[in-house]
Amino acid sequence: MNFSLTMSPSDLLLLLPEILLTSWLCLILIIDFSFPRLPNEQLAYLSIAGLGATLGCLAWFNITGITGTLFAHMFVLDGMALFFKMFIVGSTILVILASIDYVHRFRFFRGEYYFLIVMSALGMMFMASANDLLSVFVTLEFSTFGFYVLVAYLREDMASNEAGIKFFILGVFAAALLAYGISLVYGETGKLVFSDMKATQATPGLAIGFLLIFGALGFKIGAVPFHSWIPDTYHGSPTPVTAFLSIAPKGAAFAILLRMFFVALATFKPVWILLLVAASILSMTYGNIVAIAQKNMKRLLAYSGIAQIGNVLIGLAAGTKMGSDAILFYLLTYLFANLGAFAIIIAVSEAIGSEEIDDYSGLGRRSPFLAFSMLIFLLSLAGVPPLAGFIGKLYIFVAAMKEGLFTLITVGLINIVISMYYYLIVVKKMYISEPHDPSPLKVSGPIKVVVYVCLAGTLVIGVYPQPFTDWVVSALLMFSNLAGPTASLPVPPAVIPFGG
Amino acid sequence: MGDYALLYILFAPFAGAIALIFVSNRQAMLVRSIAAGSAFICLLASLYLFYSYDYVKGGFQFVQRFEWSRQLGISLHLGVDGIGTPLVLASAILLFAGIFVSWHIKDRTKEFYIWLLILAAATIGVFMSLDLFFLYFFYEMSVIPMYLLLGMWGSHTKKYNEMTDPEGLKQRDSVGFIFNFGSNSKEYAAMKLVLFLSAFAVAALMGILLIYKYSGLNTFDILVLREQAKLMNIPVLGTTLDKIIWLLIFFGFASIAPLWPLHSWSPVGHAAAPAATSMLHAGVLMKLGHFSIIRVAFEILPETTRELMPIAAVLCMFSIVYGGFVAFYAKDTKYVIGYSSSSHMGYVFLGMAALDYISLTGAVMYMFAHAMATGMLFAMAGWVYDQTHTRDIPSLGGLSNRMPFIYACFVVGCMASIGVPGTVNFIAEVMIIVGSWNKYPFQVIVAVVGIVLTFAYLFKMMRGLFYGPMDQKYSHAHDAVAVVDRLPLLIMITVSIGFFFFPMHLYNVVRSGVDPLIAKITRVVPVALQERDASSVTREARADSSQQNVAALPGDVLRLTPRTSRSDQ
Repeated sequence: MNFSLTMSPSDLLLLLPEILLTSWLCLILIIDFSFPRLPNEQLAYLSIAGLGATLGCLAWFNITGITGTLFAHMFVLDGMALFFKMFIVGSTILVILASIDYVHRFRFFRGEYYFLIVMSALGMMFMASANDLLSVFVTLEFSTFGFYVLVAYLREDMASNEAGIKFFILGVFAAALLAYGISLVYGETGKLVFSDMKATQATPGLAIGFLLIFGALGFKIGAVPFHSWIPDTYHGSPTPVTAFLSIAPKGAAFAILLRMFFVALATFKPVWILLLVAASILSMTYGNIVAIAQKNMKRLLAYSGIAQIGNVLIGLAAGTKMGSDAILFYLLTYLFANLGAFAIIIAVSEAIGSEEIDDYSGLGRRSPFLAFSMLIFLLSLAGVPPLAGFIGKLYIFVAAMKEGLFTLITVGLINIVISMYYYLIVVKKMYISEPHDPSPLKVSGPIKVVVYVCLAGTLVIGVYPQPFTDWVVSALLMFSNLAGPTASLPVPPAVIPFGG
Repeated sequence: MGDYALLYILFAPFAGAIALIFVSNRQAMLVRSIAAGSAFICLLASLYLFYSYDYVKGGFQFVQRFEWSRQLGISLHLGVDGIGTPLVLASAILLFAGIFVSWHIKDRTKEFYIWLLILAAATIGVFMSLDLFFLYFFYEMSVIPMYLLLGMWGSHTKKYNEMTDPEGLKQRDSVGFIFNFGSNSKEYAAMKLVLFLSAFAVAALMGILLIYKYSGLNTFDILVLREQAKLMNIPVLGTTLDKIIWLLIFFGFASIAPLWPLHSWSPVGHAAAPAATSMLHAGVLMKLGHFSIIRVAFEILPETTRELMPIAAVLCMFSIVYGGFVAFYAKDTKYVIGYSSSSHMGYVFLGMAALDYISLTGAVMYMFAHAMATGMLFAMAGWVYDQTHTRDIPSLGGLSNRMPFIYACFVVGCMASIGVPGTVNFIAEVMIIVGSWNKYPFQVIVAVVGIVLTFAYLFKMMRGLFYGPMDQKYSHAHDAVAVVDRLPLLIMITVSIGFFFFPMHLYNVVRSGVDPLIAKITRVVPVALQERDASSVTREARADSSQQNVAALPGDVLRLTPRTSRSDQ
């Protein structure tokens, strides 16, 4: 492989957001060490400032349309990468805001907490740009590395330690799968860059290789059958970390999945469509049915997250430009609904010290604001109009319908009804059950900001999605050469021409 | 107002709900005034809409269209025809009345009115949607407020309250609660309602998505689809696609109507709901089913409708008889009215199934009439419950001395519900019966038996509530004296009686919506006939139903319109 590291200033420009964030990362660490007495709120706001600057830089790229590739196509900055980078940085900002109160629970290394979060975000930003198998491996491990530490951050808490160990062992296993898959694919094709693999022949080795890679990425997004770490890890981790884990890595992993399936494997669509259909049906059904029996809010959202990923996979299975648009749009709606729900879990657990669904009894009386917001987020996750989640689900279904994936849509629709049940159980606790303790709850400022942002996102996207759909459509212009809505309409029977 | 009437009607309740968010619950009077004010704007605008609807011109009027999503082909396309207009008016009247009926709610007043307004606005939204997406959007949007209204302000049934054993408590909250028929708690009723309606709504959504795909037009617009969608004769799964779509749409929406085998959520829901919610629920929410079937299945799949509508003719008999008998034996006032509603909805299905000008006009007028009648009955059942804290008919009695006004209204409500001359229900019932006699004489006989049943159970309930000896513990019960308490009943009575004496405007408006629809459905003849007479076929483009003057069409039924020949146009 011809590899040159001569970089022009314009090449450096493409890396500007990452360079900015890397230097900010060092700054955070230095300030944390130099001023040990610094209240950790300051450090949080400092990280947010850096992330905000990065977000601004990405937005500027998005508006001016700066794109390009670097390092012999290993790193690519296109509309999709920009979308996912903004997705990741945006969710990181919200997560840091939501963790400002929670951090008091950590006895040690409060400053490093922010460092690790931002570092993971940086890793995921690289993931969104990864355009060949090597950079996929490196960036994926880079981003997961921070999470291994973050998940086990509550050192005295056995559940957190258990979550850490589980996540670590399964994560390393997934990394091994990924490495093995990459070696097989490289052995078969001799190529690493996705866009070079377009015309390769199908061989068993290649198939197994990509299956292994899909397994590793499936671990990241938590699709059945690679989901087993999700419930315990979500349950045991510090709640802000759970929130982060439930959003950002999924976005980054979908960036890679989209590149892999839509670019590298575009010619093998009839084969992988079956794989995705199976994974999607299993994820939706398993996630929703098991979620019914949950008693803990975080576990409930863990299983609901598995089901949501099943929904996103419908869009991937559609395999069209519209399907990919729908995926991006869905993830956007999921970001607001899911992060909002986790922010409320943090607020409630700060106030009453519990994350059990039963302790949400009477939340509608104790804190109408939190209960109403939770209602909106849960209904958005369930896909009820006029909230964002409904439009997201509909977008996905329409994309799949155009490809004629009837089974998948039927299962998806039935799952909407199943999911309605367990989300409404929480609503019932909040609004209908009487509170065990009627004292009102206090909500801190930063959490309120997060909830307001998420509420605004959920409602605005639900009521007026046009700007957001325009955004995802323009972000994915590179896929517009994909087979669009196929003209596979059943041919009407021969018509009987009437005279003349 | 003029052209924007629909926007006022739709967004006044939403605006009221949003304004209420910023008001404190302690200012109860302000909360009520905001709710009543927004409902009043909605009512005024819908009265304007009803009386300025031009029935000579017909078709969809007051049309508003805003692009909403280019990628998905969705636009906020609003407009009413002769079928939607009276139903919008009925919703607005019931919302306005419902606000006064729930005037005395103490617990979380603000939240109650917010959800009530959203519920009414969503219902109204369905009646004016000309876009399949928004039809579903508003339809599904009306379900969640029902859950909260039932759950938060509803009431348990008597049997539930008696269940105090710990095991029973556990059973109530168990996962298998769906099969727990023993205790109809309000939570059970609310959850059953939501799951039932959502489950069938997604079936309808599947139908809508299939229309979207196979029309290939990349739009959800009903007006475009009904003119251009070519959904006939596509073979799938041993039958044709249009039949599958039709069945999905029909049963998806018939669940809220509620047609006989799909009705079980409805009486339970009525019984648990607070009075104003029951009114809206039975008065207009159930009509969403009929209306959506007319709007989607009748408009887009007219030929399939003609072929498959006998299904409704069969099922409606079960609705009428089953509902009537259960209502006769029920001991809970709200169960009686709830089952009577689901029985009466069978008449609407009969009127629809006959696919006749008179009977469908009667069916739509019946929807309007029934909204008033059942609204009255539920309002009064709610009043009696508020005063006596029971809905158990055997334990009540002799209330006519305590509440003469309510008693008098109740008599009128019963008359209206039965369809005695003097109320608009009579006209509507007669039209349904006359109109469907030619096609379904047996069903008409069943319907007449149903009217006798209605007599029986309503008089039985009236006797149980108002005559006989009164239990002393109800001696504190008092009549509706204040203006706010009497106003809603008087409004509904006035409307119900007024339209009996002056029905022509209502009739003309409805007829202007029904005519093109029936003309379109009945004028296309089976393919076999077309082939036989192929030589004499007058080749004619698809019936441009909305614009045509169709007054002379009944005799025109056999004019052939070969749909299969469109590909060479």
